[in-house]
Amino acid sequence: MSSTEPIFRLPADLNVKLIHARDINLPTAALALDTHSGGKRLYAGCMDRCVYEVDLATGAKTLIGKHESYVSGVRYLPALRQVVTAGYDGTIKWFDAANHKEILKVDAHKFWSWKMRVSPDQKYVGTVTGQYMAGGIKYEPAAEREPSVKVYEAESGKLKWSFPHIPPTQSVAFSPDSKHIAAGNLMGEVRIWNLETGRQVATFTTPDFTCWGIIKSHLYIGGIFDMTFSPDGKDLLVCGMGPMVDPMAGNGKQTWQRFAWTENPLKMVSQIRVGDAGAGLMETINFHPDSNAFIMAGKLAQGKWNTALFDAANGQMVHSVDAKMRVTDSVWLGGGAQLALSGATGQGKKSDGKYPEFGHIKLYDVKPQA
Amino acid sequence: MSEYSELNQKGCKPDEHKIHRRLFLQGMMGAGASSMFSWNGLFSLPEIAAQAKKEQKHCILLWLCGAPSQFETWDPKPDSIYSGPFRSIPTKIPGVHFSELMPNCASIADKLAVVRSMKTKPSEHFQAIDMLQRGAEPRVPFVRPTIGAVLGQQLGQLDSKIPNFVLLDPCPEGNEYKSFKAGNWAGWLGAQYGPVRAGGEYKLADVNRVADMSTQDFEQREGLRKFLTKKYQNDRNSAAAASENAIFSRVKGLMSCADLFDIDKVAPKDKEKYGPGTFGMHTLIARNLVENGAPFVMVSNGMPWDCHVFQHEIYQMLVPEVDRIIFHLINDLEERGLLDKTLVVMMGEFGRTPWLNPSRGRDHYPDAWSLSMAGCGIKRGVVVGATDADGVDVVEKPFNEKNLFATIYTALGLDPYAEYEDPELAIFHRVEENAEPIREILK
Repeated sequence: MSSTEPIFRLPADLNVKLIHARDINLPTAALALDTHSGGKRLYAGCMDRCVYEVDLATGAKTLIGKHESYVSGVRYLPALRQVVTAGYDGTIKWFDAANHKEILKVDAHKFWSWKMRVSPDQKYVGTVTGQYMAGGIKYEPAAEREPSVKVYEAESGKLKWSFPHIPPTQSVAFSPDSKHIAAGNLMGEVRIWNLETGRQVATFTTPDFTCWGIIKSHLYIGGIFDMTFSPDGKDLLVCGMGPMVDPMAGNGKQTWQRFAWTENPLKMVSQIRVGDAGAGLMETINFHPDSNAFIMAGKLAQGKWNTALFDAANGQMVHSVDAKMRVTDSVWLGGGAQLALSGATGQGKKSDGKYPEFGHIKLYDVKPQA
Repeated sequence: MSEYSELNQKGCKPDEHKIHRRLFLQGMMGAGASSMFSWNGLFSLPEIAAQAKKEQKHCILLWLCGAPSQFETWDPKPDSIYSGPFRSIPTKIPGVHFSELMPNCASIADKLAVVRSMKTKPSEHFQAIDMLQRGAEPRVPFVRPTIGAVLGQQLGQLDSKIPNFVLLDPCPEGNEYKSFKAGNWAGWLGAQYGPVRAGGEYKLADVNRVADMSTQDFEQREGLRKFLTKKYQNDRNSAAAASENAIFSRVKGLMSCADLFDIDKVAPKDKEKYGPGTFGMHTLIARNLVENGAPFVMVSNGMPWDCHVFQHEIYQMLVPEVDRIIFHLINDLEERGLLDKTLVVMMGEFGRTPWLNPSRGRDHYPDAWSLSMAGCGIKRGVVVGATDADGVDVVEKPFNEKNLFATIYTALGLDPYAEYEDPELAIFHRVEENAEPIREILK
């Protein structure tokens, strides 16, 4: 979230509900979402290669730019009044938020940008890439063929750092003080670098997000799909899906884990409770602006929810909903009074000469429970 | 023109086969020789079968089980809303594009034949695997032999030391494919035409002679076993005993060719080309087996192509792997002078839906899908058939499983319409309904 709005304070007991407010449809799946400062406009990166500006009041959509493949990342830069986007075409683009002109394009990767994030101080754009190629007899991922993590200066587009990782590197996050960047991959390995020195300062691997298929196919699937630092920067939360016997089933456990990455030895401090988790890939994890709760959302394969609010102190799930779509990204609006989710339902067949819209932004109000 | 086509043009009609076969059967049965008959009594043109064996033709089937997406392989639709994230790239055939995940195949497109207009009926794996392995829908209680069993029988010799039908499959699981694998591959041809299965550990298990047994001792025991089983077979008129004998003969042959299944015996540079994944390693073994005379080798790896979820995340790895494997296999066969004698078929049991499901996967789609072939009897650099702009339906030259099987048999110089006949019941043909081969891709 890029906002200077007053924070919407959650009650101390976190006794709140997510109340479905409204939907805004998009032509194709929305893979990335952010908000303009003030929260009157949203920006969505979509499968139709387009970046849309969405007026929250009217739902009107304006095309502001295009990539040559899926748009996987979008962030608004308030200080520059620009929108920065990343895509499966491996490029990062900067657009003027007012006139929608493309200002800058950087060829960041030879493969997809899986995820792109902007540092809280708006100085850096971080993007991660990597193609999963067979590197061993059991289809272990091969070594990278290009740097998996790249950090660009947000204002100039100049490359600041290139960091190595094992591809595919699917998630990235900046620390709240903008001094560190973390990246997670298919095999559940997380690496963290200091952005001032370029040194790798921590690494750990969690085996709980990756599976090697036994049924149907012998290959690896899963990994860490999103991550966020805790508001104090001491912990790193990662999300995805637990291992599956059949990698094609998509029914691994909805999972987050929290790691105290600055401690020595580094340790996992909490994770989703067994009774809370259903099944499905979780693709977004995001702290509420008041820091006392976070949401995790994604796909519902089995269970009752695909979007849930968790108590940041003890990890307990406090409320959950089924958004009736695959959730890909999330952003808090109004200082945390409202949650916007991007995502998709099934694409559907052409009907009456029209392609059905299958991209969605769903808005949820955060309301105290009665 | 294939040898069969030439013979067919001389006036040999399917109906004539039928009459001749019935007369032949009646005569033999009258002579009290009914015990000789079984489903393996294929009535074919002997001159064709003999010629095929003489030339020792081969077939390698890269069985992409689970059903690969046509969009991310042979029939990309870059301008469609259904295209997915991968772009298309030009190939060696002017105007023809493949998925960007297949740069190696694009570079040898002038050696391939691609069919973009397969249109079949079953949309569930088991039924589709069954149909695309046997070439026709089931007709209970009869069990039609699979393509491997037929080609093993037609192109191979029962006394060959190299198995006539080898199934290399490192992933023993596979849901519906696992169920199919547990079934009857040889059908009415008889168990002796079933596959020798290997995979996983790459070495054939239990084919090594017991360490303390001398060659003389082993041969004496084998001779005794053979004599007693043959006597039992003759005395009891037992087809099962006959199959048993055939299997023992094959095991004895396997002892002498076990090294061909051993990936440790393969040159490191070959392993580097095809590997490191198991599918590539097994394709390399297939190449070596064919080079050493195997008539039919099928390579599969579970059913990894069935991506109802993570379509693009898995295809980013699977397609480049198969792209590289096909490239090396075709080039290696050509360099060894084997490509013109070896038919290579690359296919699954159907295609994938144009539209993505909510889990960003593509579901089963038999309405419009693609496959490719190369080598023996196949034209080079040909693309036949077409789908519409979104890949939803075939708009040019639809072909089904019968057309495909007629093509395979014709390409290998076999009569696609030869009859099988049950002396008591039905008449079956290698390809039913006189389905036409895909002539556009046949030499």
